[in-house]
Amino acid sequence: MFFHIVLERNMQLHPRHFGRNLRENLVSKLMKDVEGTCSGQHGFVVAITGIENIGKGMIRDGTGFVSFPIKYQCVVFRPFKGEILEAVVTMVNKMGFFAEAGPVQIFVSNHLIPDDMEFQIGDMPNYTTSDGSVKIQKDSEVRLKIIGTRVDATEIFCIGTIKDDFLGVINDPTTA
Amino acid sequence: MLRAEDEDASELKLGDVTMRLGLSDFLKAKCLMNSEVAILLEHRCDQMKHMSGESMHQLPQVLEKSLQYVKRFSRFTNQGSVKQVREVLSRYQLAEFELAVIGNLCPETVEEAKAVVPSLKTKGRGHDDEAIDRLLNDLMMIKKFE
Repeated sequence: MFFHIVLERNMQLHPRHFGRNLRENLVSKLMKDVEGTCSGQHGFVVAITGIENIGKGMIRDGTGFVSFPIKYQCVVFRPFKGEILEAVVTMVNKMGFFAEAGPVQIFVSNHLIPDDMEFQIGDMPNYTTSDGSVKIQKDSEVRLKIIGTRVDATEIFCIGTIKDDFLGVINDPTTA
Repeated sequence: MLRAEDEDASELKLGDVTMRLGLSDFLKAKCLMNSEVAILLEHRCDQMKHMSGESMHQLPQVLEKSLQYVKRFSRFTNQGSVKQVREVLSRYQLAEFELAVIGNLCPETVEEAKAVVPSLKTKGRGHDDEAIDRLLNDLMMIKKFE
């Protein structure tokens, strides 16, 4: 799920950036530093949408750098356990398949794929039902439920399932 | 840093997620639907292109991937209807999280809605099947007239 959230950060700025463009310099450094990062707590910071407030700068002892506390609004992507979302299949193998929802990778193990779907090997590996009506392959769109997240300091990885009501393929690239 | 046990709490009911988040910076966070994110990110991309002018090499990866994702999975593309969806859904006493999930997945039946948002089933919240059905109809109307 995407969230619009207010975060705070102390930015250190070198004195050469001071002057009438101080604010712009500060904001563009913030964007460069923060956008695209991932923290376990807040998820992926996708884009900064606004600056709420820039506090008073504090000179750091000995270096001349000044640190400014900045409050900014941003769009973050943070997956949660139990959440249901749509994702695009990126790779299929006999262990299961990988799907991508925005910046996050989700793995669905073959134990969490309905039992009537069998793995088919070939140049386009896929999972297919015995009557061939439903097929999961690269670029398929699936609706899945996140059942586990592994969160470390700089990465988020999810485990998902499609073995439940109203989950599974929503769009097959071959029939579309 | 969140501990594993904290994370588990979100499993109970989706509606509780936002409440649990109250502990952290997510207190004032707003859940966004994919369609809303698409509008925000497109704006941000334009801004970036404008700033860097011709020397625009490539969008940052996270931004690029998110933009592709929300464009692919946006149910509503027109800015007016996106706004309308939020307006209509907020009449139904939904938690932020529930609102966004329904707006993203646009369930077609009451059964489906309850499957994707299990917290709708909680008794005493005024979400009987009839109310959910009305909600889904309202949503369908917006989609139809988009």
